[in-house]
Amino acid sequence: MKRATLASAIVATSAMVLSIVPAHADSTGVTATSIKLGVSTPLTGSAGLVYGKVPGAMRAYFDYINANGGVNGRKISLVIRDDKYLPTLAATQTTNLILKDKVFALVGALGTATHSKAYTAAALAKNNVPDLFINTGFSGFTNKAKYPTTFMVLPTYAMEAKVMAKVIKDNFPGQATFMIAQDDEFGSDGVAGFTTAGHKFSSTPTLYPQGSMTAARAEGALTALAAAAPGKPVLVLFGTTDVTATILKAAEKLELTKKFTFLAGSVGADANTLLALGVKPTTIDGVVSASFLPDAKDLTDPYVKQFIDINTKYNKGVTFDNYVLGGMNSAMLTVQALRAAGKNLTRAGLISAIEAKGSKFASAGLVPLGWSATSRVGYNGYWVSQLNAKGEGQPYGGKLVIYTTDSGAGAVEISNFTRPTMPKNGIPTNS
Amino acid sequence: MKKAGKVHKPTTTRKRLFLFILFGWLLLILGDRVGDLELYQGSFVATYALAITSIVLLTGYSGQLSLGQSALMAVGAYAGALSIFNAGWHPVVGLIMSALVAGVFGLILGLVAARLSGPYLAGTTLALAISLPTLANQFPILGAEEGISFDVGPSPARFGEDFSQYKWFFWISALAALIMVFFIVNLLTSRYGRTFKAVRDNPVAAQLSGINVGRLKVNAFAISSGVAGLSGGLLVMLISGVSPSAFPLSLSFSLLGAAVVTGLYSLKGVILGGLVLVAIPEIADSLVSRIGGSEGFTTVLPGFIVSALLILAVVFTPNGPGHLLKKHH
Amino acid sequence: MTQFITAVLTSLSSGAIYALMAIAIVLVWRSTRVINFAQAGQAVLTTYIGYTVIQRTGSFWIALVVAVVSGAVIGAVIDRFFMRPIFKRVKSGPIVMIAPVVATLGLLGIIQAVIGFVWGITNQSIEAPVSTGGYKVMGTVIAFSNYNLLVLVFVAIAMLLLTLLFQKTNIGLALRASAYSPEIAKLSGIKVDSVRTLGWAIAGASGGLAGMLYIPGYFLYPNAMDLLLVLGFIAAVIGGLESLFGAVAGAMILGFAIIFSTTYISPKLFFPTAFIVLILVLLVKPAGLFAPKKSRGA
Repeated sequence: MKRATLASAIVATSAMVLSIVPAHADSTGVTATSIKLGVSTPLTGSAGLVYGKVPGAMRAYFDYINANGGVNGRKISLVIRDDKYLPTLAATQTTNLILKDKVFALVGALGTATHSKAYTAAALAKNNVPDLFINTGFSGFTNKAKYPTTFMVLPTYAMEAKVMAKVIKDNFPGQATFMIAQDDEFGSDGVAGFTTAGHKFSSTPTLYPQGSMTAARAEGALTALAAAAPGKPVLVLFGTTDVTATILKAAEKLELTKKFTFLAGSVGADANTLLALGVKPTTIDGVVSASFLPDAKDLTDPYVKQFIDINTKYNKGVTFDNYVLGGMNSAMLTVQALRAAGKNLTRAGLISAIEAKGSKFASAGLVPLGWSATSRVGYNGYWVSQLNAKGEGQPYGGKLVIYTTDSGAGAVEISNFTRPTMPKNGIPTNS
Repeated sequence: MKKAGKVHKPTTTRKRLFLFILFGWLLLILGDRVGDLELYQGSFVATYALAITSIVLLTGYSGQLSLGQSALMAVGAYAGALSIFNAGWHPVVGLIMSALVAGVFGLILGLVAARLSGPYLAGTTLALAISLPTLANQFPILGAEEGISFDVGPSPARFGEDFSQYKWFFWISALAALIMVFFIVNLLTSRYGRTFKAVRDNPVAAQLSGINVGRLKVNAFAISSGVAGLSGGLLVMLISGVSPSAFPLSLSFSLLGAAVVTGLYSLKGVILGGLVLVAIPEIADSLVSRIGGSEGFTTVLPGFIVSALLILAVVFTPNGPGHLLKKHH
Repeated sequence: MTQFITAVLTSLSSGAIYALMAIAIVLVWRSTRVINFAQAGQAVLTTYIGYTVIQRTGSFWIALVVAVVSGAVIGAVIDRFFMRPIFKRVKSGPIVMIAPVVATLGLLGIIQAVIGFVWGITNQSIEAPVSTGGYKVMGTVIAFSNYNLLVLVFVAIAMLLLTLLFQKTNIGLALRASAYSPEIAKLSGIKVDSVRTLGWAIAGASGGLAGMLYIPGYFLYPNAMDLLLVLGFIAAVIGGLESLFGAVAGAMILGFAIIFSTTYISPKLFFPTAFIVLILVLLVKPAGLFAPKKSRGA
């Protein structure tokens, strides 16, 4: 009897001791002088054409910080893997980032279908890998039970849809409304947002499988919609920029550009890209969209000026645009998160740091950040913009109005948020 | 008359079983000594080797050129996913369903294919390869691009806390591949299997000696599809879910390429074929990091290597590396 | 009603583009009994060359001529220095059927990799030479433009010229003879190898034309013609692989089937429709719709 008690006591004590010892995996990717981050994102293909600049922009910002002392003496490196916007490739590339490249954390993973698949396949939850500032607005990612290590940055698509619904209600009463959306969680998130806001479209939203919106398809869809409604209906486009371009070009061909008021979701409304894809400036003039960052052409904005400067010095050959702005903004948030986690850098530590201090981080965003112990939502609002023929996005109606809301049934409110001042030279000094 | 060369004693089934078990046991031991990354890659090797086996059977042994193995893998993958996720069956049952459903599908396809020759068969299988995965967008139950989760569950508790998920994947895929390949090897060395060779080498003579060539081709299609289906199920197990983008046309081409490179007429090269497919992106990766280059270069290099290998194989070893070795005796 | 007109016209446009590729495939098949998958690579390569010409000269028409000519040259070079050695080496066994196909697949990959390396992998675009604005019919604008008409015209001319070549000239006769019975053709003094190279050249030219006419509606990137190759191949198989008329007819059937099913039934049926049409045709006529009644030699 005595031996059994002694044995069980030893076992119990060892178990307790062993459970206190921190797992080695918690600071994988961190050395005394370096931090390795990773991202799986489209670099090639039609999505790559649009989003290909983002990882390079992040890296440029990290290089800038490295040149100015790094984070607590450590230099940040970014491993970039191309997933061509394909979920299965994202799954294998993300697994490679964890198993092969052994990165500390992921930052800026792109795409709804791609990332949701990659998250499960690469067992990110099991390995407690921080999944920072993902490049997608699918509200499902705010579910802490399913995505315990994920922090969003983009406002959710549901939020955007609710804001758009309010814009339509306030500015286009009585007009017919239609929607064309990508047929996956991204598009359906938007559709759901409109429903939550109480908006009913004149006909069921047209959903198209990702990658299948050809010119012929677009022409057919526009012809049908134009025939269905008199006046000047509002057409909401919830897809990627290459698809918005296809639809706008179809409108040009059918001379329907002035027939509709185009309301393009932020994912698909980058003016520069639209112009680069062959859409005429006269077509872009008047397109309504939403954003949470300042426009990349707004040279009066201190963040924009600073990022342009960094871009010129560390991202040679790349033209500054909204995607570069977004990438650098996320990188800036990342640096602040790494700083806030302290010198003893662990995965769990990084996650708690963002929960505790993240909502106060400085960034170019014109809307508030929502990270807390209970919320994984990043920016929680939008300002409404209207594009002009020069490709600039200016406040709709002339005055900047910031709307905030949630992904649920909460109302859309007007906010008087003012963002934190930019740290000197764009180099965070937080802790 | 020259001596015909060494006379082989045919390996008995029992001997073969012993060899397979021995090999499996070696894999097990190896699996304990390597890291998660190698286990992950090893699982892909096993899966691809199985897929290549299906091609060797179909094209090498029954002479039917199909460009649509990826479609059959997709059928198996979806069948397995639906069984496990929707019907709630045990993962092993799911994998069996992958093979079975794909096999039945292959049987039907084979009946159609038997009427088609050369390029017409190639064209049909090509069309199948691009159109079948897109059906997932048409029927909501197939989950469109989101796909269906394929979860074989964590390793059994009795193996302990430290038994990684990747080791579990490796055990499942290696075991499944070994069992299936054993079955196929036995089939091909049996009396029935010898009729395959007869049909391949001289269909007219085979027909004249009473072999039902049409029936044989259909059977080959069915069996090959079953094998492909199982490999499809294993593949989506590794990525935790099936979706159309897991089975692009390029997969068919890569598998065919690997099969040609490592020997279309014999099963001896299938593992090597799997290794080649897994190794090439790795080699390309390390080449690029060594000599540097834009991300664009990184993207095109693996394709370049595969294609170059393919051409070299066709030009220098059209009958597989085995023949090349024989020449030097 | 407008939807119907749009559908018919879009079908004609799509069918015309498939036809150009189908013609190239049939040409190579008829002259060398090989399915040339590298066609997609050759066509996109000549289009990149055309793109570079446009960058330098600003003229689409010059680029078109250059693309067609370089297509012919590239096609000839591939046959002479790539396919011929392969045919020499691979003489027996079932690999005979497979080797050229696999070789062209390999070639496709190499061409696309080289393009990516030389020109980069990001999408480019080529401007159409004529207006792409739709015509006004009965007050509404329909989805048919001068450009769509141009493509139709080119396809018709190409088909006419090629049919004349094959049916009415000695070279055409030599091309057909070398394909069907190389030994007999050789005996009657035809230089089979050179004639075959000529066949590849003509096919390459056709592919070059296809690329320059197809790309202005889409984007230019190394894999831009892959889909078109598959659809052109299906169209050619439907038509029977043996006649140019069959290729064009097959392409039109395919175009109409796809556009009508995606417009009226479901947009997601694009590829399944292609497959179903193919299967239906082959079940009824395994050798294709317009295959000659006489059976070919083995």
